[in-house]
Amino acid sequence: MRVRAWLIGGGAIAALVALDWLAPRALNPYYVTILSRIGIAVIAAVSLQLVNGFTGQFSIGHAGFMAIGAYASAALSVYAGAALLDAASQIAPLGFARLLYFPLVLAFGGLVAAVSGIVVAVPALRLRGDYLAIATLGAGEIIRIAILNIDAVGGARGFSLASPAHPAIDLRFESLGGVFGVALVTIAVIARLVYAGGGLAFRAVREDETAAESIGIATTRVKVEAFLVASFFAGVAGALFAHSEGYIHTNSFGFVRSFELVAFVVLGGLGSLSGAIIAAATLTALPELLRGFGDWRMVLYSVLLIATMVLRPQGLLGQRELWPLARMTRGGAK
Amino acid sequence: MNLLEISALTVRFGGLTAVSRVDFAIEPGSLVALIGPNGAGKTTAFNVITGVYAPSEGRVAFAGEQIGGRAPHAISRLGVARTFQNIRLFRSLSALENVRASLQGARRSGLRDVLRPARWRAQQEDAENEARGLLDELALGAFADARADALPYGEQRRLEIARALATRPKLLLLDEPAAGMNPAEKQDLRELIRRLRVQRELTIILIDHDVSFVMNLCDRVVVLDHGEKIADGPPEQVRRDPAVIEAYLGSDDEASA
Repeated sequence: MRVRAWLIGGGAIAALVALDWLAPRALNPYYVTILSRIGIAVIAAVSLQLVNGFTGQFSIGHAGFMAIGAYASAALSVYAGAALLDAASQIAPLGFARLLYFPLVLAFGGLVAAVSGIVVAVPALRLRGDYLAIATLGAGEIIRIAILNIDAVGGARGFSLASPAHPAIDLRFESLGGVFGVALVTIAVIARLVYAGGGLAFRAVREDETAAESIGIATTRVKVEAFLVASFFAGVAGALFAHSEGYIHTNSFGFVRSFELVAFVVLGGLGSLSGAIIAAATLTALPELLRGFGDWRMVLYSVLLIATMVLRPQGLLGQRELWPLARMTRGGAK
Repeated sequence: MNLLEISALTVRFGGLTAVSRVDFAIEPGSLVALIGPNGAGKTTAFNVITGVYAPSEGRVAFAGEQIGGRAPHAISRLGVARTFQNIRLFRSLSALENVRASLQGARRSGLRDVLRPARWRAQQEDAENEARGLLDELALGAFADARADALPYGEQRRLEIARALATRPKLLLLDEPAAGMNPAEKQDLRELIRRLRVQRELTIILIDHDVSFVMNLCDRVVVLDHGEKIADGPPEQVRRDPAVIEAYLGSDDEASA
């Protein structure tokens, strides 16, 4: 068992390193950017699925937590990271220092977002259904507007990942392997969370809160926990976005982005991680694939969304999972 | 010592008094019926005992501990389990998962599920085996992997009992467990309740409308009417109580029905 786990882990890392090396050489930068955005969308969608699909709490402010992760990590990089990397490059190879530095940045973005997630969740989770949805929408917008008014992170000009004091240090992190690696970790963590025995608490809350309480599940704690984990990974996604784009603006994190994430989880099937992944990948790629249609592009995009919901009201996969996630629903390995 | 002690319990919803100065005590190991006409306050009493409502006045003590107004999950962890009048299963989960959710409920830890330390897998298997054991005990073994809402009605009722038992309760509250059952199913349920009481050393309170169902089964009957306790005693005595006949049974004809 142990051996197999190591083999899978080692294989995954080797594949990611190979992808990282190959992608910029084999593909033009346009495709690399799209693939990287798909990875980021998957992270955000899978984390939102924990709240909306598994815990049954309808949150439509997820982009707000992405914004916090993006801006917090970008601020860290610009104000402290550049100096840190500059100092590190004096004593060790810069490439190595960056390899250690970027996971730190992502974790920082995630943690700040997780804290803000709790600040939002504790009052908002007293609400149910439509009221909760509106409260989360409001929270997302409050976050966006607040950031827009902080001059230290660029305000309305947007925030560029370049440190004036250390212009030679590149703070961007364009690594497809890295993005996909983080996406895999996110999927693995959330799948383990929801499909282990303890994960039944999330689904019990979704199905019937009164009954869940009656068997000893502290429903409020479970909901806050779901929100905490989801906002952490949203923050990580935001941090990845900031560092791969190199420039962020609050417009990227408005309610349109939040709705897009909700569309991923609903269209994929509430309660299916595989569905969220497929929908996030497809719907991120689709507007690009439809570029050939010119002005009709977003019309077609909308028509496809409507058609899917009419034909598959339960979402693409309902609550089912595809291999290899399907094995975990039975309490299996990995 | 009494397992459950309710004293001067009053529950008001705005201007409506659903339960008014009710007292009763339940001894360990007893099987007590709570009966009364519609709107008598039976389910409200259950909801207070399990923490769904807080008492407006009065005390609820479980095993000597004051529990009135505590959160339902906290009361459940002390050893009070219940079923619901209108079945409340986790509909889209399997029968097995319904029971497992109870086993996990009190002692879940997300971080352990992610990191999966050495003993984790064995614990998961223990939980699964325990859940399957409970399903077998309630003759639900064949339905383990079926969705809860796909089960026949009688099986759904039993699954709710299995889920409640999985919390390892000392006190089990059954809210109209026989509702909607035919005479043969009621007989089976009666035997099940008797068996569980002995094998699991349970104290049981059950609500029902079916007077004869309760009379043949319980050691004691508590009668509520308009939120007040009007009788309390052995079934035969309660059956003859003029106040009960007037308030609930209506006439001798109905009483023997």
